Amino acid sequence: MQNRPTAAELAEAVRNFLEEEIGPALQDPRLRFRALVAANALSILGRDLSLGEGLLREEVELLSGLLGVHGDAPSLNAELCRRIRRGGPPAGTLAALRRIAELKLRIASPRYLESGR
Amino acid sequence: MTVELRAALEERLSLLFGGEVRVGQLALLAGGASMEAWAVDAQTPRGPMPLLLRRGAGGRIFRDALSLSQEHRVLQAAWEAGVKVPRPYGYLGEILGREAFVMERLQGETVGRRLVQRPEFAAARAVLPGQMAQELARIHKIDPAPLEFLPGTSASSPLLHGLETLAAQLESLGEPHPSLELGLLHLRRQLPPDGPRVVCHGDFRVGNFMVGAEGLVAVLDWEFAHLGDPREDLSWAMVRAWRFRADQLRLGGIAQPEEFLDRYAALTGRSVTLAELRPFELLGNLRWAVGALTQARRHLSGEERSVELAVLGRLAAEIEHEVLSLLEEGKS
Repeated sequence: MQNRPTAAELAEAVRNFLEEEIGPALQDPRLRFRALVAANALSILGRDLSLGEGLLREEVELLSGLLGVHGDAPSLNAELCRRIRRGGPPAGTLAALRRIAELKLRIASPRYLESGR
Repeated sequence: MTVELRAALEERLSLLFGGEVRVGQLALLAGGASMEAWAVDAQTPRGPMPLLLRRGAGGRIFRDALSLSQEHRVLQAAWEAGVKVPRPYGYLGEILGREAFVMERLQGETVGRRLVQRPEFAAARAVLPGQMAQELARIHKIDPAPLEFLPGTSASSPLLHGLETLAAQLESLGEPHPSLELGLLHLRRQLPPDGPRVVCHGDFRVGNFMVGAEGLVAVLDWEFAHLGDPREDLSWAMVRAWRFRADQLRLGGIAQPEEFLDRYAALTGRSVTLAELRPFELLGNLRWAVGALTQARRHLSGEERSVELAVLGRLAAEIEHEVLSLLEEGKS
Protein backbone atom coordinates (compact mmCIF):
# COMPACT_ATOMS: atom_id res chain seq x y z
CA MET A 1 0.00 0.00 0.00
CA GLN A 2 1.01 3.58 -0.59
CA ASN A 3 2.12 5.89 2.16
CA ARG A 4 -0.27 8.63 3.19
CA PRO A 5 -1.49 11.06 1.96
CA THR A 6 -4.31 9.11 0.37
CA ALA A 7 -5.41 10.06 -3.13
CA ALA A 8 -8.23 12.20 -1.68
CA GLU A 9 -5.83 13.91 0.70
CA LEU A 10 -3.48 14.74 -2.17
CA ALA A 11 -6.33 16.25 -4.18
CA GLU A 12 -7.24 18.31 -1.11
CA ALA A 13 -3.65 19.56 -0.74
CA VAL A 14 -3.55 20.79 -4.35
CA ARG A 15 -7.00 22.37 -4.00
CA ASN A 16 -5.85 24.38 -0.97
CA PHE A 17 -2.74 25.47 -2.83
CA LEU A 18 -4.81 26.75 -5.78
CA GLU A 19 -7.42 28.43 -3.63
CA GLU A 20 -5.22 30.00 -0.99
CA GLU A 21 -1.89 30.66 -2.70
CA ILE A 22 -2.29 30.75 -6.48
CA GLY A 23 -5.73 32.39 -6.78
CA PRO A 24 -4.99 35.50 -4.69
CA ALA A 25 -1.63 35.98 -6.43
CA LEU A 26 -3.16 36.18 -9.91
CA GLN A 27 -3.78 39.63 -11.41
CA ASP A 28 -5.82 38.60 -14.47
CA PRO A 29 -9.43 38.13 -13.27
CA ARG A 30 -10.15 35.51 -15.96
CA LEU A 31 -7.14 33.48 -14.84
CA ARG A 32 -8.19 33.85 -11.20
CA PHE A 33 -11.66 32.57 -12.08
CA ARG A 34 -10.17 29.55 -13.85
CA ALA A 35 -7.97 28.83 -10.82
CA LEU A 36 -11.14 28.71 -8.69
CA VAL A 37 -12.78 26.41 -11.23
CA ALA A 38 -9.70 24.17 -11.07
CA ALA A 39 -9.91 24.15 -7.26
CA ASN A 40 -13.56 23.12 -7.55
CA ALA A 41 -12.56 20.34 -9.95
CA LEU A 42 -10.19 19.03 -7.28
CA SER A 43 -12.96 19.16 -4.66
CA ILE A 44 -15.08 17.02 -6.97
CA LEU A 45 -12.16 14.65 -7.47
CA GLY A 46 -11.60 14.39 -3.71
CA ARG A 47 -15.26 13.54 -3.04
CA ASP A 48 -15.28 11.08 -5.91
CA LEU A 49 -12.25 9.29 -4.48
CA SER A 50 -13.81 8.99 -1.02
CA LEU A 51 -17.47 8.40 -1.90
CA GLY A 52 -17.52 7.28 -5.53
CA GLU A 53 -17.40 3.53 -5.09
CA GLY A 54 -20.19 3.36 -2.51
CA LEU A 55 -22.47 5.70 -4.46
CA LEU A 56 -21.91 3.81 -7.70
CA ARG A 57 -22.85 0.55 -5.95
CA GLU A 58 -26.07 2.15 -4.74
CA GLU A 59 -26.84 3.35 -8.28
CA VAL A 60 -26.27 -0.13 -9.72
CA GLU A 61 -28.61 -1.64 -7.09
CA LEU A 62 -31.32 0.93 -7.83
CA LEU A 63 -31.09 0.36 -11.58
CA SER A 64 -30.96 -3.44 -11.30
CA GLY A 65 -34.04 -3.38 -9.08
CA LEU A 66 -35.84 -1.09 -11.49
CA LEU A 67 -35.00 -3.04 -14.65
CA GLY A 68 -34.90 -6.58 -13.23
CA VAL A 69 -31.54 -7.29 -14.90
CA HIS A 70 -27.93 -7.28 -13.76
CA GLY A 71 -25.00 -5.39 -15.20
CA ASP A 72 -22.60 -2.55 -14.62
CA ALA A 73 -23.65 1.10 -14.37
CA PRO A 74 -23.05 2.06 -18.03
CA SER A 75 -24.98 -0.94 -19.42
CA LEU A 76 -27.86 -0.50 -16.94
CA ASN A 77 -28.12 3.22 -17.75
CA ALA A 78 -28.04 2.42 -21.46
CA GLU A 79 -30.78 -0.19 -21.03
CA LEU A 80 -32.97 2.27 -19.13
CA CYS A 81 -32.43 4.83 -21.91
CA ARG A 82 -33.55 2.25 -24.51
CA ARG A 83 -36.73 1.49 -22.58
CA ILE A 84 -37.54 5.16 -22.13
CA ARG A 85 -36.98 5.86 -25.83
CA ARG A 86 -39.30 2.99 -26.71
CA GLY A 87 -41.88 4.77 -24.57
CA GLY A 88 -41.98 2.25 -21.71
CA PRO A 89 -40.02 3.38 -18.66
CA PRO A 90 -40.59 0.89 -15.79
CA ALA A 91 -42.80 2.00 -12.89
CA GLY A 92 -40.71 3.88 -10.32
CA THR A 93 -38.29 5.29 -12.91
CA LEU A 94 -38.73 8.91 -11.84
CA ALA A 95 -38.18 8.17 -8.14
CA ALA A 96 -35.10 6.02 -8.85
CA LEU A 97 -33.59 8.63 -11.15
CA ARG A 98 -34.16 11.35 -8.57
CA ARG A 99 -32.33 9.31 -5.99
CA ILE A 100 -29.48 8.69 -8.44
CA ALA A 101 -29.31 12.41 -9.30
CA GLU A 102 -28.91 13.11 -5.59
CA LEU A 103 -26.11 10.55 -5.35
CA LYS A 104 -24.33 12.20 -8.30
CA LEU A 105 -24.73 15.64 -6.74
CA ARG A 106 -23.19 14.51 -3.46
CA ILE A 107 -19.97 14.32 -5.46
CA ALA A 108 -20.47 16.94 -8.18
CA SER A 109 -22.16 19.73 -6.21
CA PRO A 110 -23.24 19.08 -2.61
CA ARG A 111 -24.03 22.78 -2.16
CA TYR A 112 -26.72 22.51 -4.81
CA LEU A 113 -28.50 19.82 -2.78
CA GLU A 114 -28.35 21.96 0.36
CA SER A 115 -29.89 24.96 -1.40
CA GLY A 116 -33.02 22.84 -1.87
CA ARG A 117 -35.96 23.74 -4.02
CA MET B 1 -0.79 37.75 -33.47
CA THR B 2 -1.99 41.17 -32.31
CA VAL B 3 0.30 42.87 -34.86
CA GLU B 4 -1.11 40.82 -37.74
CA LEU B 5 -4.67 41.32 -36.50
CA ARG B 6 -4.16 45.09 -36.27
CA ALA B 7 -2.87 45.26 -39.86
CA ALA B 8 -5.70 43.10 -41.19
CA LEU B 9 -8.27 45.11 -39.26
CA GLU B 10 -6.95 48.48 -40.47
CA GLU B 11 -7.27 47.28 -44.05
CA ARG B 12 -10.87 45.99 -43.65
CA LEU B 13 -12.07 48.90 -41.56
CA SER B 14 -10.66 51.38 -44.07
CA LEU B 15 -12.83 49.75 -46.75
CA LEU B 16 -15.84 49.68 -44.41
CA PHE B 17 -15.63 53.33 -43.36
CA GLY B 18 -14.47 54.63 -46.76
CA GLY B 19 -11.18 56.20 -45.67
CA GLU B 20 -8.06 55.51 -43.71
CA VAL B 21 -8.62 53.84 -40.36
CA ARG B 22 -5.92 53.45 -37.75
CA VAL B 23 -6.29 51.03 -34.87
CA GLY B 24 -5.01 52.14 -31.47
CA GLN B 25 -5.67 49.95 -28.49
CA LEU B 26 -6.55 46.35 -29.31
CA ALA B 27 -7.41 44.06 -26.38
CA LEU B 28 -8.91 40.59 -26.11
CA LEU B 29 -11.88 40.87 -23.73
CA ALA B 30 -13.10 37.31 -23.88
CA GLY B 31 -11.80 34.29 -25.66
CA GLY B 32 -13.40 30.91 -25.86
CA ALA B 33 -13.90 27.98 -28.12
CA SER B 34 -16.77 29.45 -30.07
CA MET B 35 -16.16 33.19 -30.03
CA GLU B 36 -13.64 35.94 -29.33
CA ALA B 37 -14.43 39.53 -28.40
CA TRP B 38 -11.86 42.27 -28.95
CA ALA B 39 -12.00 45.89 -27.82
CA VAL B 40 -10.79 48.01 -30.72
CA ASP B 41 -10.13 51.75 -30.52
CA ALA B 42 -10.24 53.03 -34.08
CA GLN B 43 -9.43 56.41 -35.62
CA THR B 44 -11.81 56.67 -38.56
CA PRO B 45 -12.93 59.31 -41.06
CA ARG B 46 -15.96 59.72 -38.74
CA GLY B 47 -13.67 60.40 -35.77
CA PRO B 48 -12.55 58.15 -32.93
CA MET B 49 -14.80 55.08 -32.56
CA PRO B 50 -14.80 52.50 -29.76
CA LEU B 51 -15.55 49.22 -31.54
CA LEU B 52 -16.13 45.67 -30.52
CA LEU B 53 -14.86 42.97 -32.84
CA ARG B 54 -16.70 39.67 -32.65
CA ARG B 55 -14.65 36.93 -34.22
CA GLY B 56 -15.27 33.21 -34.58
CA ALA B 57 -13.06 30.56 -33.03
CA GLY B 58 -14.42 27.40 -34.56
CA GLY B 59 -16.42 25.61 -31.87
CA ARG B 60 -20.18 25.42 -31.55
CA ILE B 61 -22.27 24.63 -28.45
CA PHE B 62 -25.52 23.87 -30.23
CA ARG B 63 -26.03 22.53 -33.70
CA ASP B 64 -28.32 25.31 -34.79
CA ALA B 65 -25.95 28.22 -34.12
CA LEU B 66 -25.70 30.95 -36.78
CA SER B 67 -22.57 31.86 -38.70
CA LEU B 68 -21.14 35.29 -37.94
CA SER B 69 -22.38 36.75 -41.23
CA GLN B 70 -25.90 35.55 -40.35
CA GLU B 71 -25.61 36.81 -36.80
CA HIS B 72 -24.61 40.21 -38.16
CA ARG B 73 -27.70 40.31 -40.36
CA VAL B 74 -29.92 39.45 -37.39
CA LEU B 75 -28.25 42.15 -35.31
CA GLN B 76 -28.85 44.60 -38.16
CA ALA B 77 -32.53 43.65 -38.28
CA ALA B 78 -32.82 44.02 -34.49
CA TRP B 79 -31.14 47.43 -34.62
CA GLU B 80 -33.55 48.57 -37.33
CA ALA B 81 -36.50 47.26 -35.30
CA GLY B 82 -35.44 49.46 -32.38
CA VAL B 83 -34.22 46.66 -30.11
CA LYS B 84 -31.55 47.77 -27.63
CA VAL B 85 -28.43 46.26 -29.21
CA PRO B 86 -24.92 47.47 -29.97
CA ARG B 87 -25.10 49.20 -33.35
CA PRO B 88 -23.68 46.83 -35.98
CA TYR B 89 -21.17 48.51 -38.34
CA GLY B 90 -20.40 45.76 -40.77
CA TYR B 91 -19.50 42.17 -41.53
CA LEU B 92 -15.79 41.92 -42.33
CA GLY B 93 -15.53 38.48 -43.89
CA GLU B 94 -12.60 36.38 -42.74
CA ILE B 95 -9.89 38.07 -40.71
CA LEU B 96 -6.79 35.86 -40.47
CA GLY B 97 -8.89 32.85 -41.38
CA ARG B 98 -11.93 33.48 -39.19
CA GLU B 99 -15.18 35.32 -39.76
CA ALA B 100 -15.70 38.58 -37.90
CA PHE B 101 -17.91 41.64 -37.66
CA VAL B 102 -17.66 44.96 -35.87
CA MET B 103 -20.20 46.76 -33.76
CA GLU B 104 -20.44 49.65 -31.36
CA ARG B 105 -18.66 49.04 -28.02
CA LEU B 106 -21.05 49.95 -25.21
CA GLN B 107 -20.30 50.34 -21.51
CA GLY B 108 -21.92 48.25 -18.82
CA GLU B 109 -21.83 45.09 -16.74
CA THR B 110 -22.24 41.78 -18.53
CA VAL B 111 -21.41 39.23 -15.84
CA GLY B 112 -24.74 37.69 -14.87
CA ARG B 113 -23.63 36.60 -11.42
CA ARG B 114 -22.70 40.19 -10.51
CA LEU B 115 -25.98 41.54 -11.88
CA VAL B 116 -27.90 39.11 -9.70
CA GLN B 117 -25.82 39.42 -6.52
CA ARG B 118 -24.21 42.86 -6.22
CA PRO B 119 -26.01 45.58 -4.24
CA GLU B 120 -25.05 48.33 -6.72
CA PHE B 121 -27.39 46.73 -9.29
CA ALA B 122 -30.44 46.68 -6.99
CA ALA B 123 -32.05 49.61 -8.82
CA ALA B 124 -31.32 48.03 -12.19
CA ARG B 125 -32.84 44.73 -11.03
CA ALA B 126 -36.02 46.55 -10.05
CA VAL B 127 -36.59 47.86 -13.59
CA LEU B 128 -35.15 44.92 -15.55
CA PRO B 129 -38.31 42.74 -15.72
CA GLY B 130 -40.28 45.49 -17.48
CA GLN B 131 -37.36 46.32 -19.75
CA MET B 132 -36.86 42.65 -20.63
CA ALA B 133 -40.54 42.41 -21.61
CA GLN B 134 -40.20 45.56 -23.71
CA GLU B 135 -37.18 44.25 -25.63
CA LEU B 136 -38.65 40.81 -26.11
CA ALA B 137 -41.84 42.37 -27.49
CA ARG B 138 -39.69 44.28 -30.01
CA ILE B 139 -37.64 41.21 -30.90
CA HIS B 140 -40.75 39.13 -31.52
CA LYS B 141 -42.00 41.80 -33.94
CA ILE B 142 -38.89 41.65 -36.16
CA ASP B 143 -39.89 40.81 -39.73
CA PRO B 144 -38.52 37.30 -40.42
CA ALA B 145 -38.93 37.54 -44.22
CA PRO B 146 -35.40 38.85 -45.02
CA LEU B 147 -33.88 36.40 -42.50
CA GLU B 148 -34.65 33.28 -44.54
CA PHE B 149 -31.56 31.48 -43.14
CA LEU B 150 -32.91 31.33 -39.58
CA PRO B 151 -33.15 27.75 -38.25
CA GLY B 152 -36.72 26.57 -37.92
CA THR B 153 -37.85 28.43 -41.04
CA SER B 154 -38.85 25.32 -42.93
CA ALA B 155 -39.92 23.16 -39.97
CA SER B 156 -43.61 22.34 -39.80
CA SER B 157 -43.49 22.53 -36.02
CA PRO B 158 -40.57 24.56 -34.59
CA LEU B 159 -41.06 22.96 -31.21
CA LEU B 160 -40.89 19.43 -32.56
CA HIS B 161 -37.90 20.46 -34.67
CA GLY B 162 -36.16 21.74 -31.52
CA LEU B 163 -36.98 18.55 -29.67
CA GLU B 164 -35.67 16.29 -32.43
CA THR B 165 -32.46 18.32 -32.81
CA LEU B 166 -31.89 17.97 -29.08
CA ALA B 167 -32.60 14.22 -29.08
CA ALA B 168 -30.09 13.70 -31.90
CA GLN B 169 -27.45 15.77 -30.14
CA LEU B 170 -28.01 13.85 -26.89
CA GLU B 171 -27.64 10.55 -28.70
CA SER B 172 -24.40 11.67 -30.36
CA LEU B 173 -22.78 12.22 -26.94
CA GLY B 174 -22.42 8.46 -26.62
CA GLU B 175 -23.16 8.52 -22.88
CA PRO B 176 -26.48 7.34 -21.43
CA HIS B 177 -28.58 10.02 -19.66
CA PRO B 178 -31.89 8.43 -18.64
CA SER B 179 -33.12 11.53 -16.79
CA LEU B 180 -32.80 13.62 -19.96
CA GLU B 181 -34.42 10.86 -22.04
CA LEU B 182 -37.31 10.87 -19.59
CA GLY B 183 -37.68 14.63 -20.03
CA LEU B 184 -37.72 14.25 -23.81
CA LEU B 185 -40.33 11.48 -23.59
CA HIS B 186 -42.53 13.64 -21.38
CA LEU B 187 -42.36 16.52 -23.89
CA ARG B 188 -43.06 14.27 -26.88
CA ARG B 189 -46.18 12.97 -25.16
CA GLN B 190 -47.40 16.38 -24.04
CA LEU B 191 -46.16 18.61 -26.81
CA PRO B 192 -47.94 21.96 -26.43
CA PRO B 193 -49.88 23.06 -29.52
CA ASP B 194 -47.81 25.27 -31.81
CA GLY B 195 -48.03 28.97 -31.04
CA PRO B 196 -47.30 31.86 -33.33
CA ARG B 197 -43.98 31.75 -35.14
CA VAL B 198 -41.66 34.68 -34.47
CA VAL B 199 -38.00 35.65 -34.52
CA CYS B 200 -36.62 34.34 -31.21
CA HIS B 201 -33.39 35.57 -29.65
CA GLY B 202 -32.65 32.02 -28.53
CA ASP B 203 -30.46 32.87 -25.51
CA PHE B 204 -32.46 35.59 -23.76
CA ARG B 205 -31.25 35.62 -20.14
CA VAL B 206 -29.63 37.97 -17.64
CA GLY B 207 -26.13 36.66 -18.46
CA ASN B 208 -26.52 37.91 -22.04
CA PHE B 209 -27.52 41.46 -21.17
CA MET B 210 -25.38 44.53 -20.74
CA VAL B 211 -26.70 46.46 -17.77
CA GLY B 212 -25.93 49.88 -16.32
CA ALA B 213 -27.21 51.77 -13.29
CA GLU B 214 -30.47 52.54 -15.16
CA GLY B 215 -31.03 48.96 -16.17
CA LEU B 216 -30.82 47.27 -19.56
CA VAL B 217 -28.29 48.78 -21.98
CA ALA B 218 -28.24 46.07 -24.64
CA VAL B 219 -29.26 42.53 -25.52
CA LEU B 220 -26.15 40.62 -26.65
CA ASP B 221 -25.15 37.28 -28.19
CA TRP B 222 -27.55 36.61 -31.08
CA GLU B 223 -25.90 33.44 -32.39
CA PHE B 224 -28.83 31.24 -31.36
CA ALA B 225 -31.52 33.37 -33.00
CA HIS B 226 -34.09 31.24 -34.79
CA LEU B 227 -37.68 31.13 -35.88
CA GLY B 228 -39.68 29.71 -33.02
CA ASP B 229 -42.39 30.00 -30.43
CA PRO B 230 -42.34 33.19 -28.31
CA ARG B 231 -42.77 31.01 -25.23
CA GLU B 232 -39.25 29.61 -25.79
CA ASP B 233 -37.72 33.04 -25.14
CA LEU B 234 -40.19 33.83 -22.33
CA SER B 235 -39.24 30.68 -20.42
CA TRP B 236 -35.47 30.58 -21.09
CA ALA B 237 -34.73 33.32 -18.53
CA MET B 238 -36.52 31.17 -15.93
CA VAL B 239 -34.24 28.16 -16.30
CA ARG B 240 -32.76 27.58 -12.86
CA ALA B 241 -29.12 27.57 -14.01
CA TRP B 242 -29.40 31.29 -14.88
CA ARG B 243 -30.56 32.30 -11.40
CA PHE B 244 -27.04 32.26 -9.97
CA ARG B 245 -28.21 30.66 -6.74
CA ALA B 246 -30.95 33.26 -6.13
CA ASP B 247 -33.21 30.25 -6.72
CA GLN B 248 -36.40 31.65 -5.24
CA LEU B 249 -36.46 34.45 -7.84
CA ARG B 250 -37.60 32.51 -10.87
CA LEU B 251 -36.92 35.19 -13.47
CA GLY B 252 -33.15 34.89 -13.76
CA GLY B 253 -32.52 35.42 -10.06
CA ILE B 254 -33.83 39.00 -10.18
CA ALA B 255 -37.62 38.81 -9.75
CA GLN B 256 -40.73 36.70 -9.85
CA PRO B 257 -41.92 36.33 -13.45
CA GLU B 258 -45.41 37.85 -13.16
CA GLU B 259 -44.50 41.49 -13.88
CA PHE B 260 -42.40 40.42 -16.87
CA LEU B 261 -45.24 38.34 -18.33
CA ASP B 262 -47.89 41.00 -17.64
CA ARG B 263 -45.85 43.68 -19.36
CA TYR B 264 -45.15 41.39 -22.32
CA ALA B 265 -48.89 40.66 -22.60
CA ALA B 266 -49.73 44.37 -22.49
CA LEU B 267 -47.25 45.11 -25.27
CA THR B 268 -47.98 42.19 -27.59
CA GLY B 269 -51.50 41.08 -26.75
CA ARG B 270 -50.08 37.62 -26.03
CA SER B 271 -51.16 36.55 -22.59
CA VAL B 272 -49.01 33.65 -21.42
CA THR B 273 -49.56 31.84 -18.12
CA LEU B 274 -46.86 30.30 -15.97
CA ALA B 275 -48.53 26.90 -16.38
CA GLU B 276 -48.30 27.28 -20.15
CA LEU B 277 -44.57 28.00 -19.85
CA ARG B 278 -43.78 24.85 -17.86
CA PRO B 279 -43.12 22.55 -20.84
CA PHE B 280 -40.94 25.25 -22.35
CA GLU B 281 -39.00 25.59 -19.10
CA LEU B 282 -38.46 21.83 -19.20
CA LEU B 283 -37.31 22.10 -22.83
CA GLY B 284 -34.94 24.92 -21.81
CA ASN B 285 -33.40 22.80 -19.07
CA LEU B 286 -32.96 19.88 -21.46
CA ARG B 287 -31.34 22.18 -23.96
CA TRP B 288 -28.88 23.54 -21.41
CA ALA B 289 -28.11 20.05 -20.06
CA VAL B 290 -27.21 18.84 -23.54
CA GLY B 291 -25.25 22.07 -24.11
CA ALA B 292 -23.21 21.57 -20.93
CA LEU B 293 -22.49 17.92 -21.75
CA THR B 294 -21.44 18.95 -25.26
CA GLN B 295 -19.05 21.52 -23.79
CA ALA B 296 -17.42 18.82 -21.65
CA ARG B 297 -17.06 16.67 -24.80
CA ARG B 298 -15.14 19.48 -26.45
CA HIS B 299 -12.58 19.20 -23.67
CA LEU B 300 -12.52 15.41 -23.73
CA SER B 301 -12.07 15.20 -27.49
CA GLY B 302 -9.16 17.64 -27.33
CA GLU B 303 -11.01 20.17 -29.48
CA GLU B 304 -10.52 22.68 -26.69
CA ARG B 305 -8.70 21.70 -23.52
CA SER B 306 -10.23 23.65 -20.65
CA VAL B 307 -10.84 22.93 -16.99
CA GLU B 308 -14.00 25.08 -17.19
CA LEU B 309 -15.47 22.92 -19.94
CA ALA B 310 -14.37 19.72 -18.19
CA VAL B 311 -16.18 20.63 -14.95
CA LEU B 312 -19.41 21.34 -16.86
CA GLY B 313 -19.70 17.60 -17.53
CA ARG B 314 -20.04 16.96 -13.79
CA LEU B 315 -22.09 20.08 -13.06
CA ALA B 316 -24.65 18.93 -15.64
CA ALA B 317 -25.90 16.70 -12.78
CA GLU B 318 -27.51 19.87 -11.36
CA ILE B 319 -29.54 20.31 -14.53
CA GLU B 320 -30.50 16.62 -14.59
CA HIS B 321 -31.76 17.04 -11.03
CA GLU B 322 -33.78 20.11 -12.06
CA VAL B 323 -35.28 18.24 -15.03
CA LEU B 324 -36.48 15.52 -12.65
CA SER B 325 -37.85 18.13 -10.23
CA LEU B 326 -39.90 19.68 -13.03
CA LEU B 327 -41.18 16.22 -14.04
CA GLU B 328 -42.11 15.51 -10.42
CA GLU B 329 -44.03 18.80 -10.15
CA GLY B 330 -45.71 18.10 -13.47
CA LYS B 331 -47.22 14.90 -12.08
CA SER B 332 -49.07 16.59 -9.23
